[in-house]
Amino acid sequence: MSIGTGMAVVGRETSSDSGLKLRIPPLSRSFVLSSLSVVFLLAVWLLVTEMGWANELFLPKPQAVWAAFIKTMTKGYQGSTLLQHVGTSLYRILVSFGLACVIGVPLGILMGVSRDARALLNPAIEFYRPLPPLGLYTLLVMWLGIGETSKISLLFLAGLPGIVISTIQAVSTVDPILVRAAKSLGASRRALILEVYLPAAGPTILAGMRISLGFTYTVLVAAEIVAASAGIGWMIWDAAKFLLSDIVIMGLIVLGLTGVALDCLMRLIGRLLMPWTYRSQR
Amino acid sequence: MFRPIASLTAAVLAFSGLAHASDKPDKVTVGYLNLVNAQLVTKHLGLIAKEMPGVEIKYVKVGGGGDMLRVIAGNDVDFGGIGNPPTAIAITRGLPIKGILVINMLDYVEAMVVRTSKNIKSLTDLKGKTVAAPFGSTTHYLLLQALNDEGVDPASMKIIDLPPSDIAAAWLRGDLDAAWFWEPNLDKAVNNDGHIFLTSGLMAKRGYPTWDVGVVMNAFAEKYPDYVEKFVKAECAGIDFWLKNPAKTAEIIAEELSLPIADATRMMNGTAMVPCDQQLTAPYLGTSAKKGQFVDTLVSTADFLVKQDRLPKLLPRKDFENFIDPSYIEKAIAK
Repeated sequence: MSIGTGMAVVGRETSSDSGLKLRIPPLSRSFVLSSLSVVFLLAVWLLVTEMGWANELFLPKPQAVWAAFIKTMTKGYQGSTLLQHVGTSLYRILVSFGLACVIGVPLGILMGVSRDARALLNPAIEFYRPLPPLGLYTLLVMWLGIGETSKISLLFLAGLPGIVISTIQAVSTVDPILVRAAKSLGASRRALILEVYLPAAGPTILAGMRISLGFTYTVLVAAEIVAASAGIGWMIWDAAKFLLSDIVIMGLIVLGLTGVALDCLMRLIGRLLMPWTYRSQR
Repeated sequence: MFRPIASLTAAVLAFSGLAHASDKPDKVTVGYLNLVNAQLVTKHLGLIAKEMPGVEIKYVKVGGGGDMLRVIAGNDVDFGGIGNPPTAIAITRGLPIKGILVINMLDYVEAMVVRTSKNIKSLTDLKGKTVAAPFGSTTHYLLLQALNDEGVDPASMKIIDLPPSDIAAAWLRGDLDAAWFWEPNLDKAVNNDGHIFLTSGLMAKRGYPTWDVGVVMNAFAEKYPDYVEKFVKAECAGIDFWLKNPAKTAEIIAEELSLPIADATRMMNGTAMVPCDQQLTAPYLGTSAKKGQFVDTLVSTADFLVKQDRLPKLLPRKDFENFIDPSYIEKAIAK
């Protein structure tokens, strides 16, 4: 029922601003398909648990996971409510991801524009990029201690290469005609970067940032294994030690949803800051 | 989603195994804790392999009780070893295992070390300090129990979860004021501005004994009961060797854990081995007819964990009694 009305609403919105001739506008079609896949997964989960095909220790019922959600929201898990756990983790993620963007984008532009800078900085980035985060983490803990610094550093290092590499890629593929035109009009190097490279490279940089945010997320549980007492990643890890699989699955779902929400937010920001790309894509 | 699939395939394999039932396993996997006890002797001397000719023996080292639970839940071992808090968790969560053997009784091989320069004289002095323990382990349980007994609120200090090796590293950096963990890493903290404040042996005298128990997966025990007996026999031989040849044992421990002999000897003295015939007496497993005090310890541990909100509910005593299964030792000794 709700899918049908959702389709109608979405359909109206998209058909008003574009001249698409398809019967079903693509956005509503993908909305229906996405909803169907979510409903299908839920149904499989219900079926498997209700029929008793899965050991409840490994796959608890959706109702049990919901109950764990309510309990963690109200009573909390080991001293912090769910919102506090999510808040702690989001703080860690946003600070480190923000740092990665603030440092990664200028670094990428520099490396994209100047061959010398690329030659100087590439070895370090290319070397540490494929290292498994846990291996890197033991070293970070030894150097920086068990507090927030080592956690944020790990998340930062996980997010940085994606942003740098996509920025290099974006800058080096900017249409040379645009650059030459700006130069012939007497643009300074500064103006060239701010007015030509950045706007042209923006969409690719944003795509790199979205992928980087994903990397930061994958490292979250690892970062919170060591010496944490709050955070959604820590909650998942701790609950696993006590075989509380309802909390583990609930935590994973919440973690996933916050990731999706952040990604949507970034796409929204992209749409607001770089409206030209979304217009040209249509 | 992997787990149900894994258990499904395990079930299928078990059924196919039943179809052409053989009385000999191809391979036996033993999960052992990174601890100082006679399991290292059994492993070093290859005693299990001697009892089970033609069977491949695989040893898997596991960091702590919490990890061992995951290994057991994932059906990755045939035999394992866990302390009483993880055991209480395992029973309550219905893991398919039985306790068949006392691996060791913990004395000062596990201890709470405090930073000497911080002048900590009582548990109340820990307020506002940073204290570490591997969560879900015996020492985490004892730390909370000790604070509880002295009426100190755990929320008044920062209690953090670290594996033993990371506690040692964090201690050396000066990040921790106190930690309750075990050898072979404990020593590194003691030698660096630390001294022992409380030991697990002292807590045992206060009525909170901690120990590690050898467990077998139910599916394995049903299929190869003879091999469970052989396993127990090998471990008993290791315990006997430990008790009769302390000097040789120290050499073995030193080699297995890459330690100086002096350290190995000290760590050995901090943990007590129980000869298998004594394991059948009241302070330990007891007999099949009358289970021993291990059941009491498990019930009180589970009760504590329920109060800590780490377990959903306290099961009836019967479930804890059913977990303890001294029958394999009884058979091994009778022969």
